[in-house]
Amino acid sequence: METSDSECFESADEEIYAENENKKSKKVAGSPPSKEIPCETEHISYLKTEETKNERTNILDSNLQVDEDKPTKIGLSNTNEPEVITDNNTSNIQEEDEVNMWDEDEDWEPVETKTEIKPSESPPLTINRIWGWDLSAMLNAATVGVTAVTTQVSQGLSNVLETGIGAPDPAELARRTTQEEHTHDAEITEPSTNSSTNLFGFGNLVSGVTQITKLVETTGNKVILGGLDTLETIGKKTMQVLQEGDPGLKKKRALLKIEGEKPVLSHILREAKEKAELENRLLEEQHFARKANYESLFDDHQGLVHLEALEMLSKQCSIKLERLIESQSGRELVELQETMNQIVELCELVDDDDELEDASEIKEKLDTAVSEMVINISYDKVLTTRKEAEQWLDNLHLGVCSELELHEQAIDTLAQLTALAVERYHKIGELLLIKEHRSTADEADSLVQVTTILTALIGNMATKFSNKLSEKLSDSTHKDHINTLITNVYFESANSTSYLKNAFQLLIPVLQVGAI
Amino acid sequence: MSAGPYNYSYIFKYIIIGDMGVGKSCLLHQFTEKKFMSDCPHTIGVEFGTRIIEVAGQKIKLQIWDTAGQERFRAVTRSYYRGAAGALMVYDITRRSTYNHLSSWLTDTRNLTNPSTVIFLIGNKCDLEGQRDVTYEEAKQFADENGLMFVEASAKTGQNVEEAFLETARKIYQSIQDGRLDLNAAESGVQHKPSQPGRNTLSNDQQFNKDNCAC
Repeated sequence: METSDSECFESADEEIYAENENKKSKKVAGSPPSKEIPCETEHISYLKTEETKNERTNILDSNLQVDEDKPTKIGLSNTNEPEVITDNNTSNIQEEDEVNMWDEDEDWEPVETKTEIKPSESPPLTINRIWGWDLSAMLNAATVGVTAVTTQVSQGLSNVLETGIGAPDPAELARRTTQEEHTHDAEITEPSTNSSTNLFGFGNLVSGVTQITKLVETTGNKVILGGLDTLETIGKKTMQVLQEGDPGLKKKRALLKIEGEKPVLSHILREAKEKAELENRLLEEQHFARKANYESLFDDHQGLVHLEALEMLSKQCSIKLERLIESQSGRELVELQETMNQIVELCELVDDDDELEDASEIKEKLDTAVSEMVINISYDKVLTTRKEAEQWLDNLHLGVCSELELHEQAIDTLAQLTALAVERYHKIGELLLIKEHRSTADEADSLVQVTTILTALIGNMATKFSNKLSEKLSDSTHKDHINTLITNVYFESANSTSYLKNAFQLLIPVLQVGAI
Repeated sequence: MSAGPYNYSYIFKYIIIGDMGVGKSCLLHQFTEKKFMSDCPHTIGVEFGTRIIEVAGQKIKLQIWDTAGQERFRAVTRSYYRGAAGALMVYDITRRSTYNHLSSWLTDTRNLTNPSTVIFLIGNKCDLEGQRDVTYEEAKQFADENGLMFVEASAKTGQNVEEAFLETARKIYQSIQDGRLDLNAAESGVQHKPSQPGRNTLSNDQQFNKDNCAC
């Protein structure tokens, strides 16, 4: 929990920096001495780790750091209110309010400062231009009424809300006084413009524009103020409810563990979610890495080391062939290369979708294929493993076996069959190399057959496991998960096939050596 | 069997060599299974054994290549020396001919491995004291002259078997620590850290296109 907090804090640094820039001016105005805040020290260490930055940046950073603790102090002490109000920089205040809302919960007011500055905003020129002078007369007449209505509506609105929610506080009353003064101003200017309305022409236009501008300004103000008032009142009420029996929101802050660090709540939640997701994924990955990782199972069944040995054997033969080719020239070289190519052609596999179902049929086919090589090699281990897997599937109670266990068994079976097959290829290579009378064409033909049978056998096994997994689909809520597992079984089956084909390819130099 | 296949930080490749019938496969079996195999069939080409041991607090997986001793496999087994970090050269103390062939085995080892490969000489069948044909002293002298480590052991009783395999591992580990053995060299016979579980079996679907099968 603690680590996650500090992580949140670090990731929120950028925001804090942005905040600092705005606050600089205020800090100079001598805030009370700070008590050390835990987050502060953490932050320093965080900055210090970035030693790769040049010194200039470091200095800059440490400046920011010094600044940083001050706003926190302001937030904690309640004496900052006058400062905020006297600050003329509106944008500063605005941003401060947004970012620092947790600081200011006990003096929840700075909207007033804004109201005073609002009228100085540029007049909405577009509206003037569109409405033109002939509308001005009509509007002039309406102005007074509208102004009155707006004032009443906005005040009424806040009245309703305030009486509905609670009594207005002094700050609220002060704000309303200012507002009333504004309304008054607007009303005073209106009669004077009214007197010139019958003249028409430029004066009229100008005054009309002025009036409309005024009208728009005041109306806009009323609307904005009304809206702000409403928001403010709602906000206040919310804070009031939140603070009931919990002054300064101490308990709630403690609950959220954001005391003094002030990260945004959504930030914490997002990070917590990400963290949880990552953990889940890691757990899942570890699970699969341990129990259903094809490569490690293939290694456990010694497939990898046999493949490595087969590669070494193959390489040794290739070196021998290369030396021979280098030593030849002319017709002999051409003939030799032709022989080499013929062997490669003999080893081309044809896609044969032979359905293998019967165990004895497979054994017979394999025995026939192997016999052509005239070496003492048997595929009993492969056949036994296949048979065991089939028996396991036959005795399987789908209700008891989870899809994960089924998948694990599938991957393990595929890895084991492949490892055994690769081991056989390796043994064939060794035995062919010590064989006295080679018959390369027969050997190649035999190996093509063996490879075809073995890939069909493995594909068949994968299909059987996948079918079992599919049976689980109907009564499972994790359809996506099961589909992923089925896909994975087929994927590893394809992987097995490519291991076998690779092993076969590695035997080609062994066959070629036999032909010379 | 797949329990904790990743709990090691090094893989050392060993190769066991020596004349036919000196007990290479039995030594391996004794080391990996702690059992004596009384009627051991002839090894074809090469067979493998693995065991995870601990040296200086580091878990090391020994990948042991047990070669065929039959002369007809000599050319085949020569292909397997490359990249061995340790070579266990075995003779039978009851058969002088197996001792006499040591220099030939040693030549092969020196030619086909790298200079940092640790070579350990094992005089097997030391339980058969009555049939001794090679004295400890002469073998010790041979070992010293050639800079080999040496023990007499018995695959039957298990005497010194563990020591021979572990001592070799310690020597290899020491070479790594001293920087004499370059882990990055392809032929060092040492892999640091197991090959990672690699791709996540379920997430990496792009390999699907790699090689589509006829299944």
